[in-house]
Amino acid sequence: MNEQFRGEYPAGVMCRPRPLRACLSIFRIKLLESLQYRLAAFTGAATGVFWALIEITVYIVFFTYAENASVPFISNGLTLPQVISYSWLGQVLFGLQVTAIEGDILEKITNGDVGLELCRPLNLFGQWYARTGASHLSTVLLRGGMTLIAGLLMPEPYRLSAPVSWAGFLCFLCSITSAFLLCTAFGTFASVIRLNIAWGNGPMYIMLLLGSVLSGNYLPLQLWPQALQPFLLVQPFAGYLDIPLRLYLGTMPTSQAFAAIALQLIWTAVFVLAGVLLLKRRLADIVVQGG
Amino acid sequence: MTQISLQHICKSFTVSQRPQGRAAAVRGIFHREKRRIDALKDLSFSIEEGELVGYIGPNGAGKSTTIKIMGGILTPEAGSCSILGRVPWKQRTEHVAHIGVVFGQRSQLWWDVPVRDSFELLRDIYGVPQEEYRRRLQELSDILGFSNLLHTPVRQLSLGQRMRCEVAAALLHSPRILFLDEPTIGLDAVSKLSLREFLKEENRRHGVTMILTTHDMDDIEALCSRVMTIGHGQLLYDGDLETLKARYAPLRRMRATLLADAPGDRELLKLPGVRRAENTGNLCTVWFNPYETPAHLLMQHFMQNYPVKDITVQEQDIDEMIAAMYQEMKL
Repeated sequence: MNEQFRGEYPAGVMCRPRPLRACLSIFRIKLLESLQYRLAAFTGAATGVFWALIEITVYIVFFTYAENASVPFISNGLTLPQVISYSWLGQVLFGLQVTAIEGDILEKITNGDVGLELCRPLNLFGQWYARTGASHLSTVLLRGGMTLIAGLLMPEPYRLSAPVSWAGFLCFLCSITSAFLLCTAFGTFASVIRLNIAWGNGPMYIMLLLGSVLSGNYLPLQLWPQALQPFLLVQPFAGYLDIPLRLYLGTMPTSQAFAAIALQLIWTAVFVLAGVLLLKRRLADIVVQGG
Repeated sequence: MTQISLQHICKSFTVSQRPQGRAAAVRGIFHREKRRIDALKDLSFSIEEGELVGYIGPNGAGKSTTIKIMGGILTPEAGSCSILGRVPWKQRTEHVAHIGVVFGQRSQLWWDVPVRDSFELLRDIYGVPQEEYRRRLQELSDILGFSNLLHTPVRQLSLGQRMRCEVAAALLHSPRILFLDEPTIGLDAVSKLSLREFLKEENRRHGVTMILTTHDMDDIEALCSRVMTIGHGQLLYDGDLETLKARYAPLRRMRATLLADAPGDRELLKLPGVRRAENTGNLCTVWFNPYETPAHLLMQHFMQNYPVKDITVQEQDIDEMIAAMYQEMKL
């Protein structure tokens, strides 16, 4: 035994766990791993393009019909080209959506490997946040990138239009970044809830689907009934997709961008806090599956 | 110096049960029968620095539960535990920085990326300084011989290769204590031998305390100076292996293949020191106690009286020993 420690046990080497660096390292390794799956990304992108084209066709029919029949205006101020761009960007950013719990995490929860994760001098929430974030980002980069190119190459009127202005585009980029943080926070929060194995997948998917619907992924939030608009804008899932897209399309003035992004970040903090607290409680009475 | 100390640890799990039959299945939707299983009942022991302890017991005895509690994964209902002066489940992060774990049935390496990436991630997680990391990796890869595997994705490694990397991964941060949960499971003979050799060396060179659970008696025999046996959540034995064997597995099994038909049971039982005998065709098996009758006497007798083609002497296996132990303890 080393004398200088005087009864304190020496850590074999002077290891100083640095959680932030460790999480970044997890993020990096997960990103590299996910970027290997090029074929999966390609098929994903093909689905995205297909879906966007169907949506656009339906919108074209609706808009044409609404104009010819002169029914009260249904589009709440969104023009057809805007709705088309919305559909494309929705598909490009589809990877941000929390449609399922990150595969590795789910596997570890169900087979009990989560125990091994707990044997690391690392906060489990941070570790899962990094993993979830990396898998979302890799999807957006690969699948989203391919979808974006497809959207830009489409003939009129199916094409993705340019952003409303440079300022709008800049706000859009900032808002996308916070949308990424928000989605990752929600995805990690969902994983923590899933840690309760006895619940199974059911409640999880209802929760995730609700988030998807309320994000505007299925129907732009501005096309929802007028009465719901105030609620739709402040609920957390608008920050997934709708808020960034409003900034891109210009349906939200850039003057409101700051407040909107702040709202996204507030919801991020709420989910992170809820996740950390819940995880702390869960870990106290965790059951690790298997021998 | 006492490094690990467990006092009166209790842990139980709730298990849902459903009786057989359709009616019970329907009832099960609304109401579940719950049963409490005591995995650990008042478990106490302490381990000194540098000890190599074998922790044995049948499946479901509570071995893994104990390891999980010591690893800070599970929180016991009652009792206290102090490892390197810390309570594992309360100061989890600080605690686990000083321990290493190898679970034979689970992997801590990333499946789809090269081994080196997993190691570098562990370096960052434990905050091992770059210099130290390089030195340690070199040391480990020299002894375990995996330097040519570093660039291979884990999914393409054989089990033996993977296990060597797993052990290295658990030791990269030079932990003071290493928990090994069935490290040799599924390994071939060569891999087993070299893994044992490595663990012994690591213990000798760096004084790493090791706690090893296994069903492989040879692991215990090759490595452990001390054996703890657990059954039904209680510590049944704590001491050295020889005493345990003399008490619970005193018998050896001698199996002789003859060139002629084997003699009858009755004839075999008359031999000096034979307690049990079996015979099929030209194969006969006798159980004897070498502490009472040395093997050479029995062998001599065989050699002189029967045309022996082949002869082997084996110890009773661990399950027989544990079973004998249970019987004695009336568990």
